[in-house]
Amino acid sequence: MHTPLKKKRLRLLAAGAAIACGALAVAPATAFASPVVQAETTSDADASTFRIATSGFVDSFNPFISIYLLPTNTIRYMYESLVQNSAEDGSPTEGLAEKWSTEDGGKKWVYTLHKDMKWSDGKPITSADVKYTYEQMMNVPELGTANGNLVTNFASVEAPDDLTVVINMKEPQAPNPGSEIPIVPKHVWEKIDKPAEFMNDSDVVGSGSFLLESYKANESITLKANPNFWRGAPKVDKLQYVYYTSSDAKVQALKAGDVDFVSDLEPTQFKALEGVDGITTHSGLGRRYASLTINPGYKTRDGKEYGTGNPALRDVEVRQAIRLGTDTKTLLDKVLDGQGVSATSFIPSSFPKWHLSDDDPAIVKFDPAAAKAKLDKAGWVVGSDGIREKDGKKLEINFLVTATEPVEQATAEFLVPWMKDIGIKLNVESTDSDTSSTRSMKADFDMMFTGWSVNPDPDYQLGINTCMNLPTNEDGTGGTTQDGYCNPEFDKLYKEQRSELDEGKRQKIVHDMLAMNYTDTVQIATWYKNGLEAYRSDRFDGFTTQPKDGGIIANQAGYWGFLTVAPVEGSSSTSGQGATTGLLIAGGVVLVVVIGGVIFYLVRRKNSADVE
Amino acid sequence: MSNSVPPSTTAIATSAHAEEHTRDTSAIRYLFSKLGGAAISLGMVIVLGFFAFKILPGDPVASIAKQRSMSPEQMDMLREQFGLNKPLWQQFIDYLVNVFTLNFGESYVYKTSVSSLIAQYFWPTILLTGTAAILAIVLGLWLGQKAAWKHGSRFDKFVSSSSLVLWSVPTFWLGLILLMVFGGTLHWFPTGGMRSPNPPTDFLGASIDIASHMVLPVITMVAVVYAQYLMVMRSSLVEEMSADYLTTARAKGLRDVQVRRRHAVPNAMLPTVTLIFMHLGGLIAGAVTVETVFSWPGLGKLTFEAITGPDLPLLQGTFVVFSTIIIAMNFIADLIYRQLDPRVRRA
Repeated sequence: MHTPLKKKRLRLLAAGAAIACGALAVAPATAFASPVVQAETTSDADASTFRIATSGFVDSFNPFISIYLLPTNTIRYMYESLVQNSAEDGSPTEGLAEKWSTEDGGKKWVYTLHKDMKWSDGKPITSADVKYTYEQMMNVPELGTANGNLVTNFASVEAPDDLTVVINMKEPQAPNPGSEIPIVPKHVWEKIDKPAEFMNDSDVVGSGSFLLESYKANESITLKANPNFWRGAPKVDKLQYVYYTSSDAKVQALKAGDVDFVSDLEPTQFKALEGVDGITTHSGLGRRYASLTINPGYKTRDGKEYGTGNPALRDVEVRQAIRLGTDTKTLLDKVLDGQGVSATSFIPSSFPKWHLSDDDPAIVKFDPAAAKAKLDKAGWVVGSDGIREKDGKKLEINFLVTATEPVEQATAEFLVPWMKDIGIKLNVESTDSDTSSTRSMKADFDMMFTGWSVNPDPDYQLGINTCMNLPTNEDGTGGTTQDGYCNPEFDKLYKEQRSELDEGKRQKIVHDMLAMNYTDTVQIATWYKNGLEAYRSDRFDGFTTQPKDGGIIANQAGYWGFLTVAPVEGSSSTSGQGATTGLLIAGGVVLVVVIGGVIFYLVRRKNSADVE
Repeated sequence: MSNSVPPSTTAIATSAHAEEHTRDTSAIRYLFSKLGGAAISLGMVIVLGFFAFKILPGDPVASIAKQRSMSPEQMDMLREQFGLNKPLWQQFIDYLVNVFTLNFGESYVYKTSVSSLIAQYFWPTILLTGTAAILAIVLGLWLGQKAAWKHGSRFDKFVSSSSLVLWSVPTFWLGLILLMVFGGTLHWFPTGGMRSPNPPTDFLGASIDIASHMVLPVITMVAVVYAQYLMVMRSSLVEEMSADYLTTARAKGLRDVQVRRRHAVPNAMLPTVTLIFMHLGGLIAGAVTVETVFSWPGLGKLTFEAITGPDLPLLQGTFVVFSTIIIAMNFIADLIYRQLDPRVRRA
């Protein structure tokens, strides 16, 4: 059946197919040409876009209501507050206000704003904006969602002239009331219908170093530099948060050059990035503390007992014995891989002014013999199985750990033998984080892990350790207590420090309080974990850490981290091209498959034609 | 990823009645019985969607406010905003009213309506899983019929066993390996997301941008799921191959390829098509893992974030949507099966 005509037709077909394939090959090449050009043009812009990998939640960018970490950190860049937490040690430094003073023993705070400051839309920043912001928070409960607790002591706010703000306090207050509250432009916000529902997620008018330009949920947050920022315009044009769900993906994105900065790394990820070309790792002193909280017997504010804590733990000697039998140095080295600082109290060492120093006389060392002596003194006798008993009851305590936290699991591994050594049986119970947070609230535990991020001023953290903040209800609601701690002596000192304007004296009182809490042992502070971060040092440098000496870059109590970041001379983006190369390869593969398919088809056609 | 979907009831043909029915009434009865079954499942899903998440331990407000400087008053205000201060029955009725008006309330975290969130995240999931499904089906069926035709051969053994190996690989792990090799190390493909942070604005550029982001997640999904299509196609074709009509076809002098393509494969497609539909629902639900690994902004990732929140209204919303898709796909599978297989029609 092979006629010359048919052969000719086949050849024609093959030639046609070849031409079609050629066209196909050229088409993607031209198609790819445009993104390549695009990638090159954006790479110029990229040289001054600093990209940060994130996985944080965004509720809104409204400074009155936003409570999640990522938007709160973003808002720090968007709106300046009256007083800023310094990079050095977090102590109050200039914000919108250049100076301030107190009158009437701390009942009146007077601020003077910098001259000639402008909002990003060019309108002047005046004391009326400050007054408006504070009064909104004081008078509209919904607008107090984010920082309402900071204005509860405000009696009234005055703006006698454009540059002066006066805050009248109900009670004398030593912590600077002007910090932490973002000031919004009155001329913009007073026109908003329902400010409590306003998302504030595009074209923000602000006073900070960077302003929100756009937000794509679960994709990216883009901030642009504010040329009107009173400290001067930043050195990069944009900050961009790029979303990654898993922390492993973040690490890969940094390696690939898709982002320039990652934070909150695990020690293993951190190690894997050490020595990678173009990447610098940074382990900085954080502002979080972790502790083992011991249930001392929870009570409501009016003295009703609740919770399921082991009664043995109400005895301070038993709690102290647990501390003496716990080797926090080893925990830090083995469990946290040494990436942190040994803790003394709930005020981290990154705030050296308030932190309880290691050589304070109250501090005790790991000493199992002393622990045993304490338990002997408390009447707990070692039984035949090595576990202590009193009145026929064994000294068994329950340790609640979160199943998804390797650090807690590992801590338990160490604690069990240590406790057994001093005669305490530790029962480890593993559960999910929601259950453990509920059980913590209901005081349904003996011992468990906890941790907080602490602000530069210690007032809040001290406050939640007073009897005043015990819950009002027996289900644990209606209070914000940290460890169920209540000591009238501590409360008395709390009041004193709150109105002590002499910083040296206040410092002394705070140290006394921390030592008192240490001795009462409702918690054993284990460590201040370092923030593990890494960045593309081939593209950017010039970060300002907080504290300036060895601190963290992201998650500061301030906006210093990315304020001074600058592109490295002669750097350019590596992203884009990489993806384009990949795409070209993929395109090539597709092309081969298509060509192969066409040839295959032609051959098949020929074969079946032969049969029929 | 859930690879298995419970077998449809159609697999077991309803018991044959002795009496003859007209085709119309039996068709309508069949439709209604399937529709009724789907409706009951949906009703149960809706009720379960409320109670399953209500019995979850934990106070959502406490979780959200965890480790934040919040006063009890601030927390009470959040409880009121979320409607958590209402009695349970009241919350249930609110939820039912919400569901029937296709509105799942307001997300705790995103502060916007759950239905608008779902609408926004729905299409990226469809794009990703749709592409993966088409590729997996084509690849699975094609390899499946080839393997069956030469069953017992080296080709068959290699294709079947390699697909089964991939099927048993944890999706998360495979995705992560691809991400590390082709994203982090070789820089061929983006490491996550659906678009570059500064995507090209022209249509072609934007499409290529999205396509490059799709490559790794699609490969991951296809690699893990194509085995099920392959195995179904293979086994039903192997069964078909012993049938007499194939001998007849061969006797006519048809070539092997033609016997396979024109006679055996179409018949073997019967069970395959229904299974494809049943698996599609599972595939969409399985997007949770892939979207999480590759930070793909779809329903799966939204669900993952809702779990970490925890964001109960959002969890309820995605749960009902995923379940509805699965129920709908099973329903369609039932209908198609009946349409394709005269034996079910007659039964």
